[in-house]
Amino acid sequence: MNNGFAIEEEGQPFIDWAWILRHFWGDGGIVDAFFQHLYLSLVPVAVALAISLPVGIFVHRKRWLYAPTTALTGVLYTIPSLAFFVMLIPIMGTGQRPVLVALTAYSLLILIRNTVTGLDSVPEETKDAARGMGLTNRQILLGVEIPLALPVIVAGIRIATVTVVGIASIADFIGAGGLGDLIFDGIGRQFATPIIVGGGLVALIAICADLGLYRIEGWLRPWARRAGKAA
Amino acid sequence: MIEFKEVSKTYPGSEEPVVKDLSFEIPEGEICVLVGPSGCGKTTTMRMVNRLVEITSGDIEIEGESIAAKSATELRRKIGYAIQGIGLFPHRTIAENVATVPKLLDWSKDRTRERVDELLELVGLDAGQYRGRYPAELSGGQQQRVGVARAMAADPPIMLMDEPFGAVDPITRTRLQEEFLNIQQNIKKTIVFVTHDIDEAIKMGDRIAILQQGGVLAQYDTPARILSEPATDFVASFVGTDRVLKNLSLTRVKDVRLEPLDGAGNGLPRISENLSLKDALSELIGSGTDRGVVYPDESPNGNDARGVITLDGIRKMSRGVAGE
Ligand SMILES: Nc1ncnc2c1ncn2[C@@H]1O[C@H](COP(=O)(O)OP(=O)(O)O)[C@@H](O)[C@H]1O
Ligand SMILES: [Mg+2]
Repeated sequence: MNNGFAIEEEGQPFIDWAWILRHFWGDGGIVDAFFQHLYLSLVPVAVALAISLPVGIFVHRKRWLYAPTTALTGVLYTIPSLAFFVMLIPIMGTGQRPVLVALTAYSLLILIRNTVTGLDSVPEETKDAARGMGLTNRQILLGVEIPLALPVIVAGIRIATVTVVGIASIADFIGAGGLGDLIFDGIGRQFATPIIVGGGLVALIAICADLGLYRIEGWLRPWARRAGKAA
Repeated sequence: MIEFKEVSKTYPGSEEPVVKDLSFEIPEGEICVLVGPSGCGKTTTMRMVNRLVEITSGDIEIEGESIAAKSATELRRKIGYAIQGIGLFPHRTIAENVATVPKLLDWSKDRTRERVDELLELVGLDAGQYRGRYPAELSGGQQQRVGVARAMAADPPIMLMDEPFGAVDPITRTRLQEEFLNIQQNIKKTIVFVTHDIDEAIKMGDRIAILQQGGVLAQYDTPARILSEPATDFVASFVGTDRVLKNLSLTRVKDVRLEPLDGAGNGLPRISENLSLKDALSELIGSGTDRGVVYPDESPNGNDARGVITLDGIRKMSRGVAGE
């Protein structure tokens, strides 16, 4: 076995606990990288959400905008992430900014699409009944459409978060830090511990976000949960 | 009173009006049924009353005031609205659904809660059991009841109902229709009721407006007169070749003059005075006689016969009602 990862042969322990302890705190340490990674993935999702909700609502109203919007965001989505980062360097330099921008762009497609899908799923007769009883457009949006679309929107946040948490792992290629820092450091030195720690923490963030948002999704639709139980 | 004044509607992007020069009045406290074949403009006509559809020309007045005088939302909060798809809010409990308009009108919590419970009981749902449920936890028939309760919540003088009993099985529909007629006897709302079913129209309507393709009013009259004197061939064919029987079904045995009982009436079929003439006719034909003894419901085996009903008598009456 000699594929460049001949880690065991060099006589290292599989996990070097002493290394973990030494690199736990401090600049460029594990905790530091962990929070950087959270920052790199959560900020884009939050920003994308703030853009997608109004855009999604607007596009839902002005239907003809839907195709061009998804086409544009779809194109952004197909750009390979590393290429996207590098493309942005001439405009924004290296570091966190191009990463934040690229990851926001990825989240946009998912979140706009899910916002529109969520609003589409609100039954026509429910809105008609609301209007017929004298709710204003604003009351229908806030009291009927958004609450009913919210589970689908949260499902979008879930997909976006998991996607972005993963892609953020390569952000360190252009010097943005994050858990990718540990992973690439380990690969470069053929040293398993940082790879395992970095990869493990990325997976942990993704799984926690996924489960947490899944819980929120269910909690946002008590009517479906109860009906399911009754059936 | 609701007054249609030469109301027309042409949808944008189309040449032909779907409602044309509609003029008629719906008196206070009556159910006016809009009936006609699919696509003849019934729903459009109804939705113009609460301005869900904008009138192209003409006007609708409620109590002498044009519906354009107030804002659309203000108008709608005073008009109950129940539709075929029911349109209950799936994310709100039954109580919250029924309380929609009271909440818009800023009723107090206590008053709203009291009203919700009262309405649920009125439409035959146990408030304690159903108040906190979600619509998905109710059967179709129960959801329709909630839809009707919600439309009545703020006690609006006018209600619009678009095939409100459409999405349930025939037995449930019959029960809902009868219950609603009972409720209406007490609340006396002015109701615009849309259906495509002439039998439902005859059953529910104090007056029936028959629309034909293109939104033209073919006849506006009481059920009895529509059945006995259809104004056009279209109306006659729409009400059906069994219109004489339908008309007999509008009259109960107790409401007609009976022949005196001479002799014991032994061997004659017993007919309840609450049957319709149509059902009495069916009983007579079924039993193979041409006369039956009419009894009140309370004492089906007693001796207080009200009189005798005969095939001849029914035939004469059907001629009377059929105006021939
Ligand atoms: N929003 C709309 N835009 C354009 N045409 C409509 C609209 N609503 C209904 N129509 C048309 O108007 C006609 C009457 O429809 P409707 O009032 O729903 O009839 P009904 O309730 O008697 O079946 C139909 O031909 C229908 O296609
Ligand atoms: Mg209709």
